[in-house]
Amino acid sequence: MQYKIFAAIDIGSYEVGMKIYELSRAKGIKELDSVTYRMELGKEAYAAGKISVEKIENLCALLQSFKTIMAGYKVNGYRACATSAMRETKNRVIIQDYLEKKTGLKIEILSNSEQRFLDYMSIASSENEFNKIIQKGTAIVDVGGGSVQISLFDKDRLISTQNIRIGNLRIRERLSAFEKEVPHIERVIAEMVSSDLMSFKKMYLKDREIKNLIVVGDNLNDVAKVSSMTAAEFKNLYELVTEYSIDEAAERLDVPAESIYMLIPSLVIHKWFIEACGVETVWIPGLDLNDGMAYEYAQQNKILKKGHDFEEDIIASARNMAKRYMCSKTHSKALEDISLEIYDKTKKLHGLDARKRLLLQIAAILHSCGKYISFSNVAECSYSIIMSTEIIGLSEREREIIANIVRYNTQEFHYYETVEREAGITKEDYLTVAKLTAILRVANALDRSHRQKFKDVRITLKENELVIAVDTSEDISLEKGLFSDKADFFQEVFSVRPVIKKKKVR
Amino acid sequence: MEKIDFMKSEYYRNRELSWLSFDERVLGEARDKSLPLFERLKFLSITASNLDEFFMIRVASLKDMVHAKYTKKDIAGLSASEQLELILKATHDLVNLQYSTYNRSLLPALKQQGFTLVTQHENLTKEQKAFVDRYFQENVYPVLTPMAVDSSRPFPLIRNKSLNIGALILEKGEEGVYDFATVQVPSVLPRIVELPEGKDGERRAILLEEIIERNIGQLFLNYDVICAHPYRIMRNADLTIDEDEAADLLKEIQKQLKKRQWGEVIRLEVEDGMDERLLRVLKKEFEIKEADIFQISGPLDLTFLMKMYGMDGFDEYKTSNYRPQPVPDMMTDEDIFTQIRNGDILLHHPYMTFDPVVNFVKQAAKDPNVLAIKQTLYRVSGNSPIIAALAQAAENGKQVSVLVELKARFDEQNNILWAKMLEKAGCHVIYGLKGLKTHSKITLVVRREEDGIRRYVHLGTGNYNDSTAKLYTDCGLLTCAEPIGEDATAVFNMLSGYSEPKSWNKLIVAPIWLRKRFLKLIGRETRNALEGKPGHIIAKMNSLCDKEIIAALYEASAAGVKIELIIRGICCLKVGIPGVSENITVRSIVGNFLEHARIFYFYNDGKEEIYMGSADWMPRNLDKRVEILFPIECERLKKEARHILDVQLADNVKASLLQKDGTYEKIDKRGKALVCAQEYFCREAVERAAKPEEHEIDRVFIPAEHIE
Repeated sequence: MQYKIFAAIDIGSYEVGMKIYELSRAKGIKELDSVTYRMELGKEAYAAGKISVEKIENLCALLQSFKTIMAGYKVNGYRACATSAMRETKNRVIIQDYLEKKTGLKIEILSNSEQRFLDYMSIASSENEFNKIIQKGTAIVDVGGGSVQISLFDKDRLISTQNIRIGNLRIRERLSAFEKEVPHIERVIAEMVSSDLMSFKKMYLKDREIKNLIVVGDNLNDVAKVSSMTAAEFKNLYELVTEYSIDEAAERLDVPAESIYMLIPSLVIHKWFIEACGVETVWIPGLDLNDGMAYEYAQQNKILKKGHDFEEDIIASARNMAKRYMCSKTHSKALEDISLEIYDKTKKLHGLDARKRLLLQIAAILHSCGKYISFSNVAECSYSIIMSTEIIGLSEREREIIANIVRYNTQEFHYYETVEREAGITKEDYLTVAKLTAILRVANALDRSHRQKFKDVRITLKENELVIAVDTSEDISLEKGLFSDKADFFQEVFSVRPVIKKKKVR
Repeated sequence: MEKIDFMKSEYYRNRELSWLSFDERVLGEARDKSLPLFERLKFLSITASNLDEFFMIRVASLKDMVHAKYTKKDIAGLSASEQLELILKATHDLVNLQYSTYNRSLLPALKQQGFTLVTQHENLTKEQKAFVDRYFQENVYPVLTPMAVDSSRPFPLIRNKSLNIGALILEKGEEGVYDFATVQVPSVLPRIVELPEGKDGERRAILLEEIIERNIGQLFLNYDVICAHPYRIMRNADLTIDEDEAADLLKEIQKQLKKRQWGEVIRLEVEDGMDERLLRVLKKEFEIKEADIFQISGPLDLTFLMKMYGMDGFDEYKTSNYRPQPVPDMMTDEDIFTQIRNGDILLHHPYMTFDPVVNFVKQAAKDPNVLAIKQTLYRVSGNSPIIAALAQAAENGKQVSVLVELKARFDEQNNILWAKMLEKAGCHVIYGLKGLKTHSKITLVVRREEDGIRRYVHLGTGNYNDSTAKLYTDCGLLTCAEPIGEDATAVFNMLSGYSEPKSWNKLIVAPIWLRKRFLKLIGRETRNALEGKPGHIIAKMNSLCDKEIIAALYEASAAGVKIELIIRGICCLKVGIPGVSENITVRSIVGNFLEHARIFYFYNDGKEEIYMGSADWMPRNLDKRVEILFPIECERLKKEARHILDVQLADNVKASLLQKDGTYEKIDKRGKALVCAQEYFCREAVERAAKPEEHEIDRVFIPAEHIE
């Protein structure tokens, strides 16, 4: 049979849902079944940082029933992901283990960036339309129960993303104490979110023109019943929802009142965006985390053709970040080229996969961002900047690897035995950090002067040596002189010593 | 122009009175001399069992309202007590008609055909007397439990709907003070006792209660029996409130719970000419009013006539059994899934056989590629092959989900039994949504095929009951259209308690969406008519009593929409009101088969739409049940569905037309070719099964010849 059946489970903050997909090259991603169940896990998690035993038991029963449905379709694979509610629960490790033992399902608690990446993938899965939209200035507003993620495109590359903790459920929770006394709750919400949004505009949007707004994560799609609307149409909808009581609006729009109630905070945010950035069209693909999981699964299992290149987005985001922190473009580029060249030539030595190559590249791009803050403490500052800047597509773990590579690029390397206790990094990740740091250090040493003397390097791996042959007429004594330190570390990691050989200029 | 208030109560007919006139139409069949004699007996029996049910549910409900001092008026603006008054009057008339039919028409006709029912034991011959006395001694006496009432023994509990003989007895040698005694006519013994045949081969019988009456003295040996007469009561013992009543009634009743007289007697039937003294005792003990007493000139509880219908012999006086025909689209050797993939299939029962529906489940149970079977079950037959197939499927490792509706009236106990059986077999049994009866009829088969998962769906207007499918006219659709398959999955998810789906592709589901859609469909015709375009609605159903829908129909009629309704039972709509309902006709077809399909046609400015479903236009169907309305979209099947409606509209044999005054009248046949829709469909199905390849139908149909 030319297709696979895949189940995706989304344990969200106010709804738990599962979708079953049929994935095939011929028909693409086809949704076969979709079940959702209202369960406000986020309510307790956001307020108390805990989820009650009763809720957990309900969740278990629900997941069991999902398993029955999965069995009914004889699924080939599944993925069960929990998002912010579970993420913000203090005892999540215990809960996760309990759920897994009780249901036999493997449950992942996604970090914010992993979650948003899946959402992003879901949008990108409808390729043709998506590619058309992003040709013009585009922003994605991904509304969650706990927070809103705003991502910006530059041309067709996603270049920056910010997480603001003004999610639907969180806002409603905060308002719940006094919302009954307020006739126009949307005005209160607008006030609540405006300071965050104003600073976001000042720092990231500036005069950027945003013609398209892609909305994901909320249920705007159910309420609007269309997949795109003009700014004027949105305004009509907004007015309908806010001018009538929730029940009346629900009646008029033919949706459950609950849907409207939960939608109001995000409507306020969309409206702000439309007005602040001159948005012309609001796109509502109506896709969710589950669709993203299905897309990723189909990609990983090579059921679908390769679509949008998400790694290019990551690189573009990194470059955008480097620009923001005024990294030297030419030096970074040189470093990127050389380190990747070394990486490629030493595959046999490090045995790392292509994804790690990307991490090295990002580390090279961002290696000096900390200088923006302090010249004397570049390593720590770079580390902090990277650790606190989300890049859609990179997991937190990957970001930590990059931050460490950048840190150890200039700082003394700390051995696993000492970092294990403080950072909780895994042995495997630690080895990746060590190997990539060794490469980056060598590359960095080769452009110590930032004058790109090593433009044409040829790197060859010999038995005990990594020969870096450089074709330059310039004086490279600085680089050669400072090289031995870096070479020592490289040799320590790979048992191969890098040596610089200057070709004679004819 | 003055705006008309279409909701005015004078534009509506009380539903109970409308129901009584339905029972009268059934009685009309019993009175129709052109029908075979034994069929007429059957119809009379049906009127009796109908009436019993009507009292137990509807009259009981109204009595509750009166006790609860519930003041809300009905659709026609009548209070509960006003309704009761009218109902009792109409019922007395109906019962009189039942018995005059029985005494004056049926009994003499039976005698003419060689079957004599001896109406009074006094009329037995000497030999017959000896026969029945022996019969009494051997068969009856051992199972009787006579009970006497005196100062030390209280009045016994008389069971609902049981037939009893009441007697006044006087201790031998005493004078003056008589006691009351009663004995139940045992329901375990046949009501009709055949007597030895006469010399001429003539068959004779007597009713059991007459035999007991004759021997009553033997039950009270130390007493003299002053008089003995049969009686029968009906109690308000049904603890459930009829679902048609508003929720506020339920609250009211709950409040009044203590005041409610449980088991209150709401009807007393006695033999005409019962001894006054005996009647007084009964009246006092049952605390019953004069209007609730029915003096019957003939045997009580006419449902025994169904048994008479079932007696051996007399085949020439019964309509020969029609054999449901094979479905033309399904006469190939291919498996059922291939047949459905070839194109949607419309089923019209009982003209076409119900087998495909049973086979659909049976084959799914065996098919190695089937992953899951899901079905809703409301009422099923006693030994249902569908249930057996579902159990088999579960045992074969299929995922089987069955929604069992436990609240199906009168079937609760039955349903619980086989629900348990299904669970044992490994089926996942779900019991539906709280507060909503699942009345929809849908089956979903999920199959793993070479090019993907494919869903096969059966949707119907009638229950998954292979026995009643031989008697009820119903429609069904077999399809594997993807949009319907998706909706079917969503229906079962919803029934399993997951959130309602955000949108539907094709199916329209009650309670949330159906009423709105019907109003929209009717409103669209109104709008078209107002714009000067033609508007036309044909709707066939069992009952019409939803005020909002009727008002919409009035509005449509006033706008000039032609509305043709085919409604077997209750119809609260009034025809011929000037400016309101002049463009509406209502016909009721009462025939050999019970009309049961629901079909809705809308002209839609030429882009005709036809729907079928499980729902009537009744508040309970639209608001308190899970019902499904499905569109017929394939052009070929649309034609066929329209053909069904057209033939029914042309019926002038079994159809009665609703008149302005609320009565129904048979259609004037003078100068017209006779069309009996049910017979027409029978014949057509036979012809089509003989030549399945050329069953395209013309819009113009050929009227049938009347069969004498």
